Amino acid sequence: MTVIFALLSLLLLATAVGVVAFRNPVHGGLCLVMNMLIVAALFAMLNAHFLAAVQVIVYAGAVVVLFLFVVMLLNAKLERPQFRDKVYAIVGLGTVAVLFFSIFPLMDGAAFGKGAVQSVSLLSQAPIEGTTANLGRILFTKYLYPFEAASFVLMAALVGAVLLSHAKPQKKIEG
Amino acid sequence: VEFIILLAKLFVVFNVIMGLASLCTWVERKGSALIQDRIGANRAGAFFYVEDLPFKSKLLKFLLRPVFAVLRVLGILGIINTLLCDAVKALLKEDFVPEGMPVLLHALAPILAVAPVFIAFAVIPLAPDFVLGGYHIRAQIADIDAGILFVLAMGSIAVYGVVIAGYTGNNKFSLLGGLRAAAQMISYELAMGLTMVTMVLIYGTLSFYDIIEAQKQVWGVFLNPVAFVVLCIVGMAETKRCPFDLPEAESELVAGYFTEYSGMKFLLFWLGEFAEIALFSLVLVALFFGGWHIPFVDLPDGWLGALIGHAIFMGKVVFLSVVQIVIRWTLPRFRYDHLMNIGWKGLLPLSLLNLLVTAAVLLPA
Repeated sequence: MTVIFALLSLLLLATAVGVVAFRNPVHGGLCLVMNMLIVAALFAMLNAHFLAAVQVIVYAGAVVVLFLFVVMLLNAKLERPQFRDKVYAIVGLGTVAVLFFSIFPLMDGAAFGKGAVQSVSLLSQAPIEGTTANLGRILFTKYLYPFEAASFVLMAALVGAVLLSHAKPQKKIEG
Repeated sequence: VEFIILLAKLFVVFNVIMGLASLCTWVERKGSALIQDRIGANRAGAFFYVEDLPFKSKLLKFLLRPVFAVLRVLGILGIINTLLCDAVKALLKEDFVPEGMPVLLHALAPILAVAPVFIAFAVIPLAPDFVLGGYHIRAQIADIDAGILFVLAMGSIAVYGVVIAGYTGNNKFSLLGGLRAAAQMISYELAMGLTMVTMVLIYGTLSFYDIIEAQKQVWGVFLNPVAFVVLCIVGMAETKRCPFDLPEAESELVAGYFTEYSGMKFLLFWLGEFAEIALFSLVLVALFFGGWHIPFVDLPDGWLGALIGHAIFMGKVVFLSVVQIVIRWTLPRFRYDHLMNIGWKGLLPLSLLNLLVTAAVLLPA
């Protein structure tokens, strides 16, 4: 279990780097799929089968397919290294550093090394029965308002996208 | 012992897939000939006569006579042709890779088109539970909490095989085929998910075994016929078969996304398609036709009951698969805007409405 967890985590990091490192956008997209699938595998290792399946259906199955669809449709060429890239790299590294140092104090030593592995193996021994039902129950009782708020935001985004994608109504040509 | 049981399950399930897929291949080849008033595959093995053998032993020839008679019948029926000769031919063909395309991705596409379909079979029980030698055996490789969602997830991974194939083809036909397939499968996946949610609402469980057991008295098709019709149409679209075969439309796109595939890789796409038909029939039978249950008939306990149940299950599955193949050879292809209209303006609102009505009916209970 521990070995699989370590391997998956390493692959997760490698594919995450691959998304930004590949010059070919299609390869980057495929790395993103791999990334999503590995996250799903980690969910499955925690016995959260429902989350794992939803992760695959929503992210790997729909979102990234659309990414690839657009990349292929626009026939994106290889990205050439540019000056901008260096600026982006510096800004990105800075952001990562800030994030890392803000999270780092929250992790005590135990939680980082052995502790994380232990909690994974503990969680994976949790009962399988009815995880989906429990998730649904919590979502519609305790977390009802955040859930509804999230769906409202998504709805707004959807309507906005439809509105923006429609061209402005052209004036009727007289005569 | 548990490990041996698991191996046996794997063996059985793999054979079920391959059996169904090869049966579909044969029905497709010979059945299409029947439909179109052709003779169809009948060459290989049709001319096996003992008199042609290059030796003189009368006794051996006499003994081999019934074997050759069987071979001749198989040959005339086209079984040797479609199942043996085609596979050998594909294995011996040149494996062509378009220039300048990554070999790894090119090889990955057919694998991605086949493997998820095979994996999805892992969550479908093929027979009722039985006890053998003190072990309680469930005829299912993985009994997970979210069985239906697992099948949906595997279906959505199968899209990547097609998309990557379209990309590595390195020509416009492949690319167009891949793009069409991606758009089509995503459009129809929504209606498929919603319809499955409707059935899950009715049965109150995501596990295939419980769903089948819940249909002991009444089949699901009588509980919600609208869902059955919608899922039938969506399933045909997901398997990318006529009338939904725009991704490979041979009259416009050569062969669509697998234009640049030859030999065994091409055959893998074929196999994936037929395995998808079999999987889809299995899911339909499990959701709507009560799996191994026949109304008002009780199966005996023990391994005998399991065997009979499996036979009933497979009978229904084979029937649905053949129906799909007949539909494929009967209907003409849709136009692209028709396809999208059916998906987004027809099936999606219909399945949403169906979900709403079902939920409203179930609410008081």
